[in-house]
Amino acid sequence: MSIRRQITLAAKLESLPRFREMIDAACPLQPGIDEQTCYDLKLAVDEACTNIITHGYASMNPGSIILALDIDPRQVVMAITDFGHAFEPAEAPMPDVQAALEDRPMGGFGLFFIYRTMDEVRYETTEAGNCLTLVKRLQSTREEK
Amino acid sequence: MEITAKQLGQTTVVSIVGSVDALTAGQVTSFLSVQVRNGQRQLVADLSQVDFMSSAGLRAILIVLKESRQQGGDLRLAAAQPRVENILKMAGLTSILKAFPTLEKAIVSFGS
Repeated sequence: MSIRRQITLAAKLESLPRFREMIDAACPLQPGIDEQTCYDLKLAVDEACTNIITHGYASMNPGSIILALDIDPRQVVMAITDFGHAFEPAEAPMPDVQAALEDRPMGGFGLFFIYRTMDEVRYETTEAGNCLTLVKRLQSTREEK
Repeated sequence: MEITAKQLGQTTVVSIVGSVDALTAGQVTSFLSVQVRNGQRQLVADLSQVDFMSSAGLRAILIVLKESRQQGGDLRLAAAQPRVENILKMAGLTSILKAFPTLEKAIVSFGS
């Protein structure tokens, strides 16, 4: 069985809970998604959308964000599309999580969480917009590796 | 998200209910910062009713932790739910601040 859901919302911080609610509603429909996996999915989407809202649409009229969710027994694929400034996540620096408090940067954990919780992160910019694809493999698949 | 404070002896317990994301983290930072500026040295954030926290929430905690320690105080965390505790660990926060499994233990820790 596969589950497909899509939602388009304004690129505003007020939309963040609604993106998470969509994931919360879909997770119980797929038996392979446990609570930790569901949290990881919400966290990655929340961080990605926050980056789009605060950086992607910076100094321009806020547009929209499309979240497409595709769940099957093997994996969850989340495609997040926006029409703001392009941003290559792989080029961003990662925070030092071992640093002492006084040396610790106050931000930068968003992308760190995305890379730590997802199995695959792809980014593509075309004339149709920027698309960040996040893939989380489900437990049954990972055990087979 | 709702945030309230109560005074228990020398300790101020700040209870947060709901989600701490980029939408609500600013409110958490300003509320806790007011406690620090009011001279509260012993702060406990009760996270037992926080069902979701993103990096914006961690940033709020780090900002107030720094402010509090600069004033000679401390911010300690209590009763984080397992998923929230997991992101605190992932970001290495548990190595630079004190987190306790229960509110009682966090409060008592200031006395020892």
